Amino acid sequence: MAHDAIRLSGVTKAYQGHVAVKDLSLGVPRGSVFGLLGPNGAGKTTTLRMVMNILAPDTGTIEILGRASDQAARDRIGYMPEERGLYPRMVVEEQLVFMAEVKGVARSEAARRVGPWLDRLGLKDWAKRKLNELSKGMQQKVQLAATLLHEPDILILDEPLSGLDPVGVNLMLDVLLDLRRQGKTLVLSSHQMETVERLCDAIVLINRGEKILDGAVAEVKSRYGKNTAVLAFEGDGAFLSALPGVLKVGDFGRYVEVTMADGADPQSILREAAARLKLSRFEVVEPSLHDIFVERVTGHTAGVTSGVTSGGQA
Amino acid sequence: MTRAFCVARREYLEGVRSKSFIVATVLGPVIMAAFMIGPSALMSRQRGKPLRLAVVDGSGVLKEDVESALVAREQRFLVEPAPAGTLEQAQAALKQKVMAGDLDGFLYFPGDALTQSTAEYYGKNVSNMMDLGLMEDVVKDTFVARRLRNEGIDPTRIDTLTRRPDLKRVRVTASGSREDRGGTFFLSIILLSMLYTSLAMWGAAIMNGVIEEKTNRVVEVMVSAMPTTQLFFGKLAGVGAAGLTQFVVWAGFMALISVVAGSMATAQGFQMPEVSLLVLVFFPVVLGSPDSTLSVTLSLIPFFTPLLMFLRMTAVTPPFWQLAASVVLMVVAIAGLNWVAARIYRVGILMYGKRPTFPEIVRWVGHR
Repeated sequence: MAHDAIRLSGVTKAYQGHVAVKDLSLGVPRGSVFGLLGPNGAGKTTTLRMVMNILAPDTGTIEILGRASDQAARDRIGYMPEERGLYPRMVVEEQLVFMAEVKGVARSEAARRVGPWLDRLGLKDWAKRKLNELSKGMQQKVQLAATLLHEPDILILDEPLSGLDPVGVNLMLDVLLDLRRQGKTLVLSSHQMETVERLCDAIVLINRGEKILDGAVAEVKSRYGKNTAVLAFEGDGAFLSALPGVLKVGDFGRYVEVTMADGADPQSILREAAARLKLSRFEVVEPSLHDIFVERVTGHTAGVTSGVTSGGQA
Repeated sequence: MTRAFCVARREYLEGVRSKSFIVATVLGPVIMAAFMIGPSALMSRQRGKPLRLAVVDGSGVLKEDVESALVAREQRFLVEPAPAGTLEQAQAALKQKVMAGDLDGFLYFPGDALTQSTAEYYGKNVSNMMDLGLMEDVVKDTFVARRLRNEGIDPTRIDTLTRRPDLKRVRVTASGSREDRGGTFFLSIILLSMLYTSLAMWGAAIMNGVIEEKTNRVVEVMVSAMPTTQLFFGKLAGVGAAGLTQFVVWAGFMALISVVAGSMATAQGFQMPEVSLLVLVFFPVVLGSPDSTLSVTLSLIPFFTPLLMFLRMTAVTPPFWQLAASVVLMVVAIAGLNWVAARIYRVGILMYGKRPTFPEIVRWVGHR
């Protein structure tokens, strides 16, 4: 692969009074699923908008498929803004044709593609209805179809899972995995890191407009080591925090997370625990992206602080 | 440009298929017709019910004349006999009849009515302009005729001698002379009010469309697919075309109505529709002296041209250079305003949160 699908170099965008994105550089490898992660207000949407030429960066350059971003390059991208992005009072079928048309697909060709898509998403009976007559889940399917109709090579989805019910999340994940199999490049933004990390090959974590870390998910995690043990048991586990090599114990109700010091031996902890408690689970796990994020942002290890970053809508 | 065309087509189709378009396009002419035909239709219906009156005459010389003159007036009045007795008794009895609804009202002439020029009308309803006005004319004419006869002069002869001439207004234009009874004026007023109504309506439609696109984030998809100028002018062209369609439909209705109205009544039946516009302040100025420097200047100002230049055209035939100048100025103003609007639109569609201040909007225009 000669070029990244998308490459940002030193991109900065300031609004009046505050810097939304600060000197951000990143590369999205072709054919990968790339996660743009960070809490609300981190600058994710601003970044995506700059890629889509909705906003112009103050400084820095953006390349798409190896060349400076222009209309032809952007036509190779399917962009789904966070929630909606469709005309509520427009008939579904016409809306889809229109959305493909403004992306450069000929009208007749667009009309031919709409039918199979509606079939696939189970919206055939709703083709002639106005969008606002559909349920929210169905509207999201239409939105997905609108993003994919012009058969883009790159998909940029801003918070694709927010506001979806469990069935909707599964449908969305299915479609995304399917697109990945087809070799498309996917860029997802999300503040729900747990959901997205399962899907992503590579990520960038940003906070307050600045990059905190980036790289392949596996590589990022190994960088932070296997320093956490999860225990589920019956009995009083208060002694755990006093064990040698244990830095911290986070109680999550049904289980506890034990954060170990570098070089500590999980086996000795297991032996102690097995001797004094009725253990039903002992597992040494990788830290979650969420934990890594919290550690990097606050300088503390994660655990009981869980939920700080994903809570609260900006 | 094909994408701007797609946007225009979408705006046009969504525009002309919307319920509000269908309602306004059909109801507009109906309301217009109601304005023009309604008042005269109402008045002629009212004519079916004559006023029941009685006359109490203290002077002894007016009763007969007034009664016969009232009866002669297009059967608008039914004269009931006045009760016997003194003037006070008669008045009291009639007041009771009026209160009971057996009588609409009565006229009272005191003994010195003719010399003092006084007369009184008693009725439950004293604000019925049409009929009371007619009755007042009858009473006044009768008083004057009585006095003339008392002096030995024939009232009909006075009428003949004092009759005023009927002055026809003939407009001289390059294509020939023709009589103008105000029809052109009314027609232009109606057309202009339609123009302004539809401008206000479509202006609001564009605004709502922009707001909707913004709140639904559709605009992000659009802006990433084409330059904002294409999006802007595509929308403008589409909505403009929808507005023109409405105008064409309305013009058809107008033709139909004018045919119907023409067979029903003359220009007299036309009522001027209510046009509450600031520009109307200049109407008297322009109509009073359509060729004065002030009128010419006002009619050349782009915002006023559509109204005032047309108004002048109904009054005089402005020289060609003025028409050409007004068109050029309008085109320049439209192009300039569109340019400014497109610049503001470009920045404004992506602004969320606080409402921008005027200086900020001015800055948007100069934004790179």
